[in-house]
Amino acid sequence: MPKILIVDDEEHIRFLYSEELTDEGYEVITADSGLGLLERIAAEKPDVVILDIKMVDYNGLDLLQDIRNKYYDLPVILCTAYDTFKEDMKSIAANFYVIKSFDLTELKGKIKMALETRLPGQ
Amino acid sequence: MTQDWYEENPQRVTEADLVVALPSFREAKLIGYPVTQAARGLRRYFPEQRTVIIDCDNASDDGTKEAFFGADTEGVPRIYLATPPGVRGKGNNFQNLFRKVLELKAKAVVVVDADLKSITPQWIKHLAEPLFSDFGYVAPLYVRHKHDGTITNAVAYPLTRALYGRRVRQPIGGDFGFAGSLAQAFLASPTWTRAVGEFGIDVWMTTLAMVSNQPICQAYMGRPKIHKAKGAGADITPLFSQVVGTIFDLMRQSADYWRRVKWSKPTSIYGFSLGETELPPPVKLNEDQLLAGFRLGGEVHSATWRRVLPPDQMNKLLEIAALPSEEFDFPTQVWAKLLYDFAVAYAREEVPRPDLLNSLIPLYYGKTFSFVRKTAKMSVQQAEEFIENECMVFEETKPYLIERWPA
Repeated sequence: MPKILIVDDEEHIRFLYSEELTDEGYEVITADSGLGLLERIAAEKPDVVILDIKMVDYNGLDLLQDIRNKYYDLPVILCTAYDTFKEDMKSIAANFYVIKSFDLTELKGKIKMALETRLPGQ
Repeated sequence: MTQDWYEENPQRVTEADLVVALPSFREAKLIGYPVTQAARGLRRYFPEQRTVIIDCDNASDDGTKEAFFGADTEGVPRIYLATPPGVRGKGNNFQNLFRKVLELKAKAVVVVDADLKSITPQWIKHLAEPLFSDFGYVAPLYVRHKHDGTITNAVAYPLTRALYGRRVRQPIGGDFGFAGSLAQAFLASPTWTRAVGEFGIDVWMTTLAMVSNQPICQAYMGRPKIHKAKGAGADITPLFSQVVGTIFDLMRQSADYWRRVKWSKPTSIYGFSLGETELPPPVKLNEDQLLAGFRLGGEVHSATWRRVLPPDQMNKLLEIAALPSEEFDFPTQVWAKLLYDFAVAYAREEVPRPDLLNSLIPLYYGKTFSFVRKTAKMSVQQAEEFIENECMVFEETKPYLIERWPA
């Protein structure tokens, strides 16, 4: 079963996403900040990372760069309440982005696409 | 691909770690500036490496060679290579470069256009540094005006992304870096064509890097690309035909690869420490000319279009053509399918290939006119998002191509 890592400092988001995505058949793990994120990824080997952009102590776009530098092909979906982040070109290193919503239809669709993405020889 | 070259190597350079190359043809007025900036970049950021700057020239008769050797490189050695007299084309210059890179046993190669007016020393750093950290190919990432780079936006980016699954925003950007080891792969590739020897070279190299699964990154250049203007009345036919013809040729040769690609992946981004992003200069396209070009194409090429397009696609095209200018809309899904139809016809040689490519140009004008209308009130960022959404349409429509592609 694919493993999803949710990185978000808001507890209710982590709870909602965990519940919904577990119901979809995914194994879900969570992190409440960017602290030790790369080590966590190395240990847990998630198939997809869902990354909040604005956390109290961390900038998700900087974390995205760190992830991309070390895990070239790990799918990352940016999640945010504001779409102003698109002005920062760092955001294009993400596979997808979604605007936070209680309706997770779009997020689930992007997770499916991220898992389906296939390049020969990889 | 073999050709002779003429060489001047006054400092007798026999080995180098990092090469900066400038392909040129009649650039005597402009080549000095990028050479000086490149030399500063090499001196400042790669002082420990053995470096050399190479002008890969089409035997220019305007004093390009003298201007190249006359520029101040602060001690960085130079080599001048030229194709035989009469042999033109950027790709033919690159052929000489690939051979020289192998001779020099270079680890990394950066290429920048010889007519660049906005290059800084940091461009060399950003294009070269990833090559010393396991990346095989570095494409440029510029902020461009929403109406600049229309062949890239309408054809090269969405097609290469949907076909090969890697999101490289400027696949024909002109400035890039590649690992020295790739020079051998480029030279050995059986996919070289006459078009690759000219304007097709950029998309050819980017595509070969993709299909050979090279780790690719995009280097953020921070400044817009400003170079010699082509002139308002410049004929785009050779550029368009060679770029699109090369994409279609590579589709024939790499079908086993792209058929297996599903969706697309981003690349790493390198270089965000350049400070504030400069806004690109505005580009004003002549909308009347674009629409007139599309409508005239209907008169000249409709017989070819009917041979290339399935009836339902042709009907949609006729509906688009009947729209008045104030309601004109070329839907992205129609455009994506149409490009796929043309690629299929190119592969099957249903129409002589040069005629096929010529007949596509008016359709590209129509698509571009539609894009200009739709993005008229958008910011650069909003237009970027619009293009990203168009790319998704290309990816979603790809099963149509796979279904139609000749077995």
